[in-house]
Amino acid sequence: MKLKTLILKEWADLFRIKMVIYGCVFMPLFMGGVAGYMAWQARSLPSPAQAALLNTSLLYFLVLPVLIPVTLGVYSVVGEKEQGTLEPLLATPISDLQLFLGKSVVVVIPSLILTWAVFGLFLAATSFLFGSVPRPITSLPWLLSIFVLSPLLSLFAALVAMIISSRSADSRAAYQFASLAVVPGIIPLIVYSARLTAVDLKFVGIEGAILLALDVILLFLGIKIFQREEILTRWK
Amino acid sequence: MGGDYDALILARGLTRYFGQRPAVVELDLEVRAGEVLGLLGPNGAGKTTTVRMLAGLLAPTSGEAWVAGHSVVREPEKVRPRIGLVSESPGFYKRLSVRRNLQFFAELYGVHDPQRVEGTLSLVGLSDRAAEPVATLSKGLRQRLALARALVHDPPVLLLDEPTSGLDPEVAKEVRDLLSELSREKRGILLCTHNLAEAERLCHRVALLKTRLIALGKPEELKERLFGRRVVVTLSHSIPALPENLGLPFVRGLSLDKNKLYVGVETPERDNPRLIKRLVELGAEIVYVTEEARTLEEVYLELVEGGE
Repeated sequence: MKLKTLILKEWADLFRIKMVIYGCVFMPLFMGGVAGYMAWQARSLPSPAQAALLNTSLLYFLVLPVLIPVTLGVYSVVGEKEQGTLEPLLATPISDLQLFLGKSVVVVIPSLILTWAVFGLFLAATSFLFGSVPRPITSLPWLLSIFVLSPLLSLFAALVAMIISSRSADSRAAYQFASLAVVPGIIPLIVYSARLTAVDLKFVGIEGAILLALDVILLFLGIKIFQREEILTRWK
Repeated sequence: MGGDYDALILARGLTRYFGQRPAVVELDLEVRAGEVLGLLGPNGAGKTTTVRMLAGLLAPTSGEAWVAGHSVVREPEKVRPRIGLVSESPGFYKRLSVRRNLQFFAELYGVHDPQRVEGTLSLVGLSDRAAEPVATLSKGLRQRLALARALVHDPPVLLLDEPTSGLDPEVAKEVRDLLSELSREKRGILLCTHNLAEAERLCHRVALLKTRLIALGKPEELKERLFGRRVVVTLSHSIPALPENLGLPFVRGLSLDKNKLYVGVETPERDNPRLIKRLVELGAEIVYVTEEARTLEEVYLELVEGGE
């Protein structure tokens, strides 16, 4: 119940800022647009090159889930401190787990909704361009990437952002460090671009397992190092 | 619990260091139901640290405290629902409405009754502003909302850190009246303040803190303990010479300033008739006799700034 209360308040507060809404919507649309342009370019290519370009275009959908959690999540604890709400919030009976998880979920859900919505638009666009959705896009590794890796990536980014936010003494420093959370999202891009491996089931399985383990570790680590008194006393 | 009586707040040897720097050392105090205890002291005296320890937000380095029967060290999760906290600079979600802010905190405290939220807003006089964003409220109104947040879950203990700081006199008085009303509801209230007149008016007892507790008692007791009691005898004209202590055994010091004679006595109610009789015998013409009014501010300055 407290978790729901926290999540609803966070959204109510966050999405009253128009620039946040624009920012959240612009990047997915932009990246979805780039992916769509690549699909359009792929139309006239021979089959292997077409598949390669479509695979590359899909990589954008693995970067998307980490962008929103990083930009919004990094402000979650720092922001509470800056507006003076952290002390009254910590004085309530909310637990560290509820606070940490609630603030992470708050940024993961919009990120996934937007990623999947833009992916839906991408599917519609490719279906229009090719007559039907081309094979690489509906392959099992890619569907798993979009619907299983994305939540894990998004949660990873949110947890990293939360840890940075709760450990930073300055919001600017928090934003600097938060860029680290993007790394797992771009690993597939690096791996694929360097032709180290294809985005196949094995690759998805390995990255998924690593991300799942990292998410669990980060959640416990984040709660363990979420020291209420340190957060309160470090900031002046 | 560390005591066998009905203290809502009980601290024993409460100590907190930040690194090598002591913030609060060996603090003993208690606040009973229906009592307002004023915690006074200069900036950096450890008042906020004390409040945070009692709220379960900071762990003591040593010592122990119990709030509403629960240990702040071992059961901070049981302490938090039982306190209402007004912190030094109470913040709110400025884009959200007054009602939404209060509703959020009420729900975190397990209060899901909208009537309770409305009732609390009404208590602090914010019903007509309930739908407005907090950003539109003045500092005084935000302070009232902070009190509402502290009261919405009806806690037995209130920890108030400078609740009237920065308020205009009219709003400050309203807040004081509200606090006075709340203390009659058998709550235990710890009030940190720099406003000594406010402490004198509101607090049943005051604790003077300067890292260590340097005095604790009723304001009147502290004044008497520190300065004793003095009567001021206004004479029609000055008297050139007076015998030491007027030759009276109960007189504890004497000073003459123009036509005002300051006489330290043990109990004016008992000693004044003999004092007046003696002065008349010495040829004094008495216009009137009053007891010197000492303020809590004088006690504070003597103890805190004059050195212990």
